[in-house]
Amino acid sequence: MTFRPAFRRFAFAFGTSFAVLYVLALAKKLALFTVYPSLGIVLWGTHRPRDVVDPALGFLAPAMYWYGWAATAALGALVVGLLAAAMPKRWVRWIWLGWLWVVPALAMLGCVYFTLPWFGLNP
Amino acid sequence: MDRATVAIVLLIVHGLVAVALLGAITHQTLSTWAPARARPGSFFGRFRTVPSAAFTNAVIVLYSVTATLGAIVYLYFRVDVRPALEQAGRWELLGFFDLKEHFIVIGLALLPAYLVCWRQPREEPTRTRTAVTSILAFIVWWGFLVGHVINNIKGFGA
Repeated sequence: MTFRPAFRRFAFAFGTSFAVLYVLALAKKLALFTVYPSLGIVLWGTHRPRDVVDPALGFLAPAMYWYGWAATAALGALVVGLLAAAMPKRWVRWIWLGWLWVVPALAMLGCVYFTLPWFGLNP
Repeated sequence: MDRATVAIVLLIVHGLVAVALLGAITHQTLSTWAPARARPGSFFGRFRTVPSAAFTNAVIVLYSVTATLGAIVYLYFRVDVRPALEQAGRWELLGFFDLKEHFIVIGLALLPAYLVCWRQPREEPTRTRTAVTSILAFIVWWGFLVGHVINNIKGFGA
């Protein structure tokens, strides 16, 4: 099976740009939506608990951003991928293919960096 | 079925599919790293005899199913398990689990490129294919081990 060059460009651009955009979404807390699993509620955008009277309520209605971060990155990567697919082949020929694995690997390291506070380490 | 039963069933299916994925991606990764002139009949020689590309569709389907089930089970984890871990001060475990979620979703987005790399082996550099496959293998192993430990957390020091 061979794929059209446009799909190849889409696939490579999508995977690479998703990794970058996901780390950005994680760093800037840009969730397309926020999920409250215990309440069964989904709200557009990033919503942080603002309960100053009883912070323990955060345990009762925890907010989840992971789905929103992934959706933000997927949306952006979809746009980048479609743009890459529409580009003429000669425009993208010079791009090093190694970015396909270097960028996700760096993005994973970025995720480690932003997770350091969980381990009692301040980045 | 009540909520707890649904969560347990989903978690078990999630784990079983993950085991199948682990086998497929590990086999494929080792076959890409194994020396091309491995001695026939040796451990790596046998890996080499199996066409690596044959695992591609299975890896994509199993990864997608595992990630989807994991995303559903994550809702139960956030409500029923994570608060207990927070109260117990097991922050490092929550950090490992967060990394698992981050890595899994980055790997999920790599699947279309992974498919292209394996379906057009003559057009894509071997190094790119090997690297992408290795990253996916690392993600799957990380996810499996962390998920396994979190799942069994009550068994440690209890």
